[in-house]
Amino acid sequence: MAGSALKRLMAEYKQLTLNPPEGIVAGPVNEENFFEWEALILGPEGTCFEGGVFQARMTFPSDYPLSPPKMKFTSEMFHPNIYPDGRVCISILHAPGDDPMGYESSSERWSPVQSVEKILLSVVSMLAEPNDESGANVDASKMWREDREQFNQIAHRLVRKSIGL
Amino acid sequence: MRAVVLTLGSLCLTAAVIGNAYYQKQQFYPSVVYLTKSNPSMAVLYIQAFVIVILMGKLVRKLFFGQLRAAEMEVVTYVLMDFIFPFLALLLVLGCLDAMFISHAYHSTLIRGATVQLVFGFEYAILLTMVITTFVKYILHTIDLQSENPWDNKAVYLLYTELTMGFVKVLLYMAFMIIMIKVHTFPLFAIRPMYLTVRAFKKAVNDVIMSRRAIRNMNTLYPDATPEELAQADNVCIICREEMVTASKKLPCNHIFHTSCLRSWFQRQQTCPTCRMDVLRAPPPQQNPTPQPPPAPQPPQQIPPVFPGFPMWPPPHVHPGQVPQVPPQTPPAAGTSQAAASTTAATQPAAAAPGSTAPAMTTGPPGSPLPTVAGLPPFPPPPPHGAPMPGLPPPFMMPPGFFVPPPFVPPPMPSPNYSGMTEEELRAMEGQERQHLVARVECLRSIQTLLDAAMVQMQQYTSLMATLGSPVAATTAGQGSTPVPTATTTQPADTTEVTNVLSSKMSPREETPSSPEQKPTTGESQEESGDLSELEGAVGFTPPTETLIPEDTEVPPETDANEIRRRRIERLSSQPGEEDGTEP
Repeated sequence: MAGSALKRLMAEYKQLTLNPPEGIVAGPVNEENFFEWEALILGPEGTCFEGGVFQARMTFPSDYPLSPPKMKFTSEMFHPNIYPDGRVCISILHAPGDDPMGYESSSERWSPVQSVEKILLSVVSMLAEPNDESGANVDASKMWREDREQFNQIAHRLVRKSIGL
Repeated sequence: MRAVVLTLGSLCLTAAVIGNAYYQKQQFYPSVVYLTKSNPSMAVLYIQAFVIVILMGKLVRKLFFGQLRAAEMEVVTYVLMDFIFPFLALLLVLGCLDAMFISHAYHSTLIRGATVQLVFGFEYAILLTMVITTFVKYILHTIDLQSENPWDNKAVYLLYTELTMGFVKVLLYMAFMIIMIKVHTFPLFAIRPMYLTVRAFKKAVNDVIMSRRAIRNMNTLYPDATPEELAQADNVCIICREEMVTASKKLPCNHIFHTSCLRSWFQRQQTCPTCRMDVLRAPPPQQNPTPQPPPAPQPPQQIPPVFPGFPMWPPPHVHPGQVPQVPPQTPPAAGTSQAAASTTAATQPAAAAPGSTAPAMTTGPPGSPLPTVAGLPPFPPPPPHGAPMPGLPPPFMMPPGFFVPPPFVPPPMPSPNYSGMTEEELRAMEGQERQHLVARVECLRSIQTLLDAAMVQMQQYTSLMATLGSPVAATTAGQGSTPVPTATTTQPADTTEVTNVLSSKMSPREETPSSPEQKPTTGESQEESGDLSELEGAVGFTPPTETLIPEDTEVPPETDANEIRRRRIERLSSQPGEEDGTEP
């Protein structure tokens, strides 16, 4: 299993370096361990996260792509769908069996057809359009819903922090 | 560092407390009593016990996992060498402990009756199953790690391990529950773990069944992707992102994957990875195309079985290598293949005839029989020279071959249930599709061939009778060529066969030499409808056609049989007419 996972990860890495999608950089932390990736995500334009460069860590299981990877922001984040500890909560990262929020349909779950690129693109769109119905970070959800002003302020602070200002 | 200080401090305190007690009481028992009575002393001792437990834990970790951190830097094999032993040792120790406790609980229960040991015993048994599960999984992972190639079956074994262990656990909990209810009371505390176990077991069973079904479907129902399909798609298995060269399967939703990739995915999920179509719920597509046509009144699919079926039947009856190919190939009468076949068929009589009674042959149909035969089933020639001498043996070179079709009379065509339909409905159905028409025409041609064959056969019967009467014919046939003797010699066998198969229906023909004699009269215009009317007159032939073309028989034969026959004959008559046009 590990062999095919490694091959697939290498292929994806190659694909990502040859045709990097806009606003996304990803690759293994080091060449020795292809099961641990680092990703840089540019805050999508026109949103409160615009201009930020957010760092995330992706951990791949040995049976990838049959099981989804885990993704965790290492930059500080304040977002309805990101747990306070940085773990990303989107349905594409959940295997069809488990359903932490209890409402996801299986059509948006993980399948071997997904890829690192698709995950990161989903995360970008998640940054742009938070889903406040399934709050991983309840405070952020509440603030997003009721006090958008303050949410934007916090986001701007985080954006500046993420690029070292 | 802090741990060491704490440990040392705790040790010192304990030593001080014990020393103090012993110093005050001077004897063992009084000092123990003193210690237990004094709260501060007991606190110190408790702390010491706690420290000892922690030290034990550290010791175990050191023993079994001490090398792990260092070994992680090394190559995998070193990890294995350094890791396997401690890990196995730990498992062994745990297993032995569990087993020991279980046996202890068992014996104490036996001796002293049901005590709290009963509960502990079952707890240990559960723990033991967990140890075994971990061990099996560990073995599986080790094997997987050591092999270079991905080990496809690992997931299967893991599934079955879960299943077996889940079953054992469920059994254990059931037994525990029953015993507890018997000896004591309802064990409320065991409800939750029991529920979880049963649920896990149910899930394991479900997983195994679903994945097995999906994989079986994959192996049996889904077709291998053809090279063309692979070329059409971008040829990359989207699961492993590698080229698909071999062993690819196409799902009902037309998505193509490696078989092995698909298998490992089906062990988790029974959906199409791309479109998430449930492969277990979706009807297999390959079966659809076949069952769907039957609703159509006369599907073209029903025709092919007729023709391929023909070659199946002749061989048992026909002389090897002689004419068996004719019946199957004649149906496409206008085709070149038919021409070839008929020429081969015709050359044989031609080869035989010149040796024996060539003049009759040549006088009959103009020129060489081959071109004439080419356009139309090869029978027209024989009747003409059957005309001058009905008893003439030569033509019966052909009969042996054509003689065969009648035995095939019972072609098992599924007779459609058209009896409830009116004439108009049937006609509407008939006109439904062009291909049906084409298929029907093909079928009619084959029927025509068979009819002609039957005619010739009849003729041959009569001539055979005549031949048996006159030894001259037999000898001449023998001189003609090698196939002739086989034909003449085997013919009696064939006739018996035919009579057996067709029973009474065929036998009248043998007794009625009149019908072949009719042929000469209509011989010249055989291609015209005349021969067909004559055919209709020949009672012996109609039953075979009836059974031969059930796909063509649109109406219940009992009631409208005559009507059908008339229509069929009309169609037949129009057909040879077309061919006539091309013939010359």
